[in-house]
Amino acid sequence: MTLLAIENLCVELDGPDGTLRLLDDVNLFLSKGRCLGLVGESGCGKSMTALAIMGLLPRGMRASGRILLEGEDLLSIGEDRLCGLRGRKMAMVFQEPMTALNPVVPIGRQVAEGLRLHLGLTRHEAELRAGKMLARVGLPVERFPLGLFPHQLSGGQRQRVVIAMALTCGPDLLVADEPTTALDVTVQAQILDLIAELVEEFDMGLVLITHDLGVVAESTDTMSVMYAGKVVEDGPTDEVFQRMAHPYTRGLFAAMPSHSSDLDATRKRLTTIPGRVPDASSRPSGCPFVARCSFATDQCSDAPPPLERLAHRHSASCFNLSRVEGL
Amino acid sequence: MSEGWAEVWRMGLRSRGFVIGGVVTLIFILIAVSALIWTPYPVAEIVVSRRFQGISAAHWLGTDQFGRDLVSLLMAGAVNSVAVAIVAVGLGMGIGVPLGALAAARQGWLDEIVMRANDFAFAFPALLSAVMITALAGPGAVNSIIAIGIFNIPVFARLTRGAALVVWKREFILAARVSGKGPLRISVEHVLPNIASVLIVQATIQFALAILAEAGLSYLGLGTQPPQPSWGKMLNEAQTLMFLAPQLAIFPGMAIALTVLGLNLFGDGLRDVLDPRLRRER
Repeated sequence: MTLLAIENLCVELDGPDGTLRLLDDVNLFLSKGRCLGLVGESGCGKSMTALAIMGLLPRGMRASGRILLEGEDLLSIGEDRLCGLRGRKMAMVFQEPMTALNPVVPIGRQVAEGLRLHLGLTRHEAELRAGKMLARVGLPVERFPLGLFPHQLSGGQRQRVVIAMALTCGPDLLVADEPTTALDVTVQAQILDLIAELVEEFDMGLVLITHDLGVVAESTDTMSVMYAGKVVEDGPTDEVFQRMAHPYTRGLFAAMPSHSSDLDATRKRLTTIPGRVPDASSRPSGCPFVARCSFATDQCSDAPPPLERLAHRHSASCFNLSRVEGL
Repeated sequence: MSEGWAEVWRMGLRSRGFVIGGVVTLIFILIAVSALIWTPYPVAEIVVSRRFQGISAAHWLGTDQFGRDLVSLLMAGAVNSVAVAIVAVGLGMGIGVPLGALAAARQGWLDEIVMRANDFAFAFPALLSAVMITALAGPGAVNSIIAIGIFNIPVFARLTRGAALVVWKREFILAARVSGKGPLRISVEHVLPNIASVLIVQATIQFALAILAEAGLSYLGLGTQPPQPSWGKMLNEAQTLMFLAPQLAIFPGMAIALTVLGLNLFGDGLRDVLDPRLRRER
């Protein structure tokens, strides 16, 4: 069953030097109980996509296209209805658990607030359920009373509170924006496992935003690689991992340390992708990746390549797919 | 919350200004409260036969030109000062804080209107405008309270807006919006608790200024009217008798100075205690 379908999403910002296009024709698709990985380096539009889904784009940005949550177009329903959906139908987990919690409000109340707002529970009922939710994410009330303040918890514990906050009302869609980036490595795995468990338990759809391909491989069903506001490759995770059709995807993989080789002799040198993501104000008219791509031809700088279908649900946008794959 | 306040208390005891200012303020408020129930002599009791008495066991600070007991007058004057300051600061906060919070939450044209109106109010010297208002509306305690209150509004509106704008940029606000809260709810539940310390400190300082302003207005005869006792009015009446009975001017003057000094020290200390970034190294 389709939970989230993003069709031709564009986000534009009117600046002093004309209109900047921050997201360009983004199409994403997510079923219930599934997990979609959104990959790309900083500034490629991952977080912008998350904010667009939530309807919380910063002032001055315009979104066009359609964002369908269970068939309802979030871009056209208006702020009041959106307020009712946020927290209830869709929720979000943030990157920085230190800053995503209000420092002067006890954790129990922060988790309970959503319940009181959306389900109209009394303070007592809401706190009871908040306690249960916190216990579910691994913070039992006996050891972590509801009156604790965020500064009394560790980073991982705070992220658990953030997750509890997001899930109290049983949303259908969870957007996790780099949920483990700010945590140390041992805690990362625990938090990812917890999110995966909860997604299954609550039968939610998960949009997992990350730049860690290891995380994508481990916990997503489908993935989309984003570059400079565009989706350059998407498909089922294992297929994308196998074919790596787009040169940018290839570059990302080559830049990832691998655990497979034990001997130093067989270990390859890590490569980097030269250059950086072009600014939204200075994107080339052709393929946005052209300046950094080793496969680039004249054709690439003339017009943007269309998204080409490679397999049933796997597609990539590049003029030189055959040459890349022949490598 | 209890742990947070224990911390504040501990920090406070280490700050000299906080302790001294706090004690002075506390004494001042205790005197005002006790004056509601008891004064050594009835405040308005005029006994001409005992006028211009010096300091004695019966009259601790002596008597004035009508034979009224100076201690009783000062105590009743404290009540007047507290009442004026509380209502004036309350008026300023009650209107200014919501205005500032609204401007920060909504931004855009509403923000512009509120802040430009603020600039307009700021363009007039507060005390001078209070003089103008009382002159137009007629002198009296109530009018002077309103005049002082009006000039507290922009102070709190601007402070609230500035502090709230900083809080609005923080990520937990985004988290609150993601959980479906509207701007009003976020302002009350998330923004105000985070800027409460700044507002409390400012309130203390405005409290001192309001007392000073009321004394000033009453001194000019625009504030509290006889037979209501007021420190400013006592100063005014004592002026002509300066050489005959200097204590009539000295004691009310000292009362005003001490109270304002105490409140300012308390406010400064409170800021040091509540805002770790401004905490002075010792």
